[in-house]
Amino acid sequence: MSEIDVDTGTVRLERTYEATVEAVFDAWTNPEVMQRWWKADPEHEVTIAADVRVGGGYRLEIRRPDGDEMAVHGTYREVARPDRLVYSWTWEGTGPYAGHESEVAVTFAEEEPGRTTVTIEHAGLLDETSRANHARGWNGVLDSFARSGIPATR
Amino acid sequence: MANSQAATLSRAFVAVAHPLRRTILERLADGELTVGEATHDFPVSKPAISKHLKVLEEAGAIVRVIDGRTHRLRLNGASLEEAYAWLARQRALWERKLDVVEEFLNEQEKRA
Repeated sequence: MSEIDVDTGTVRLERTYEATVEAVFDAWTNPEVMQRWWKADPEHEVTIAADVRVGGGYRLEIRRPDGDEMAVHGTYREVARPDRLVYSWTWEGTGPYAGHESEVAVTFAEEEPGRTTVTIEHAGLLDETSRANHARGWNGVLDSFARSGIPATR
Repeated sequence: MANSQAATLSRAFVAVAHPLRRTILERLADGELTVGEATHDFPVSKPAISKHLKVLEEAGAIVRVIDGRTHRLRLNGASLEEAYAWLARQRALWERKLDVVEEFLNEQEKRA
């Protein structure tokens, strides 16, 4: 299930895994998972730093062979293993409107033993001045997905 | 350039922020309709309907095609597509993260 709420500019997704809630939570914050997620193209140089505790920061960066860079950073606001993770999400960039902060809330619920549902809610994406910038940033990510043969939407 | 793009998105979001306006757009997705065909069963007054149509026109979501005395409404996809596409891209990135997590969990299970 996934949902786009154009009224509020919130994106919601849900996925159920055959795993315990601890395993799913730990996979979510695993550095190797972050690497694979971000490195859509083998030619990209990816730098990942994450200090997963309340007040800790993270930063994900891609550098393309042509020198293009793209990065996002944020701060962990809630780290309640294994139930919930909330972090701010801010694109960096060379554009004049980078820097708008949105918020990602991830909830992990083990509905029956060994069966865990993850719900992602990315909210606060409607700031007027940053909309164009977001579009640019995500375009870049999607371009790299397209090059790697991963479908952008399903 | 950036500001006008933001303004376009902003109008597009306003356009789809009302259920009756979304209904109009959904109905027009299959082709042009007259105002009556698109809105006859709405439980609101004619002035209210006119207001909704005006919001949609100003957002560039629909265009009015005047054919003699008949006003037909036609969906103008581009402006709304921009707003939807933008949010769809955020979703796509998270879909990918969910995929990577799944892949990782499967590998862990095999290793165990």
